[in-house]
Amino acid sequence: MEALYRLIPDKYSAVIEKRLSLQRLSELRIINGGPVRVCYDGVYYFLCESGLTKDKSAAFTAGGGSAEQIVMRACSHSLFTVTDTLKRGYISVTGGIRVGVCGAGVMQGGTLTAVKDFYSVNIRLPHEVKGCAGVLAQKLTCNGRIKNTLIISPPAAGKTTILRDLCRLLSDGGRSVLLCDEKYEIASVSCGVPSLDVGCCTDIISGVDKPKVFEMGIANMSPEIIMTDELFAADLPYVRRASTCGIAVIATAHARNIDELKVKQEYSDIVAHGVFDSYVVLSGPPSRTVTVYEGVVQ
Amino acid sequence: MSVKLFLLFLCVAAGTFCGYMILLSYKKNYSYLDGVCGMISALKQNLSYKKDAVPVVLGGLKVSSAQLQKNINEYIGFIGGQTDKRVISRGFLPQSTYDGVTDLFEAIGGSDESSQNARLDALSLRFGKLRTEAERKYKSMGAVAVKLGFLIGLGVGVLVL
Repeated sequence: MEALYRLIPDKYSAVIEKRLSLQRLSELRIINGGPVRVCYDGVYYFLCESGLTKDKSAAFTAGGGSAEQIVMRACSHSLFTVTDTLKRGYISVTGGIRVGVCGAGVMQGGTLTAVKDFYSVNIRLPHEVKGCAGVLAQKLTCNGRIKNTLIISPPAAGKTTILRDLCRLLSDGGRSVLLCDEKYEIASVSCGVPSLDVGCCTDIISGVDKPKVFEMGIANMSPEIIMTDELFAADLPYVRRASTCGIAVIATAHARNIDELKVKQEYSDIVAHGVFDSYVVLSGPPSRTVTVYEGVVQ
Repeated sequence: MSVKLFLLFLCVAAGTFCGYMILLSYKKNYSYLDGVCGMISALKQNLSYKKDAVPVVLGGLKVSSAQLQKNINEYIGFIGGQTDKRVISRGFLPQSTYDGVTDLFEAIGGSDESSQNARLDALSLRFGKLRTEAERKYKSMGAVAVKLGFLIGLGVGVLVL
């Protein structure tokens, strides 16, 4: 994970390389002047010289300008390449790493024009678990057709990992999949080559808003399936439209369960009108269960 | 007689060599500034379409000036985390050029697109003037230096004889 080590100070990367397994590390949180935290096997610890600790006093303390240093490294000292995503709170780094960024916003006429004085970063590492969506892929296929599916889970429960594997399985099975990788974290395409396996028949559009991908993709790429991560209210009309064009949509959304999803006004209509045939609810660690609900959920 | 002629030749050769070295120094400065202007132009082109990161653009540049290549490598090394401090070596650069180059390497990549464009425009103007001045020196004064070196060498040679 060269890309991660390039972002963080040498002393952190030395400890991670020597004492931790990258496969089990999912987050690294750095706050200016605060202790450095990591999410390891789904549990938060402080990072220290000897590896992991629950003792705050033994933890590495980030320097005053650590967040800014990481932001600048993440964008290769080219802020203009990430201005738009920074305004949405993140930077995508090669290898599927996403850096969540907090700082002070610069507002002009009610519009956020820039982010400055970076205060903290959350470096999220992608995980490729091949085969984790094997059973799900079978369940989502009915008479050779893929069901419109919404994968629901709270943050950091593995939505993207399962979506990536589902994409790989369906694509390798010969289906034309259009992957909307808005944040470069599903396929992590760099210089036209995906660094994570999303299957051999997957067309990938990276760094573009979902509504645009739905428009462009349906018109030009004639996909059987469109897959995308983290749906928001503005994306839902496009999902509804695609699902009525004979294209299966597989997407993810943030919620603990379907009841919590229905509380959101925009989703309650989608659920009531049966836009999605299946709902897959993932629970986070430690249980990590996958539950599939079929049809219109009351 | 042959010794005298040899001495005369040595003086002329030394004078011409000195003039030629002055010409080369003007050429080096011009070549450096020309490279910087090309670099700014490449950065501006990148901003208007590809929006690649600065190291990608600089890494793909072909520059003829060894000093500029060294400065670019130093900058890329700093960005790549090889050095903690941004160091741009001065080499043969006059203070005004060096100040401009330091400003340039500090400015690139540090702001959003419109600010970058404005900054690069200002730097382009600044380096454009420096390049024009360097070109004039190289083309007119460089040739004069070689001729003058030759004549001074000849004069000294005749005086020695």
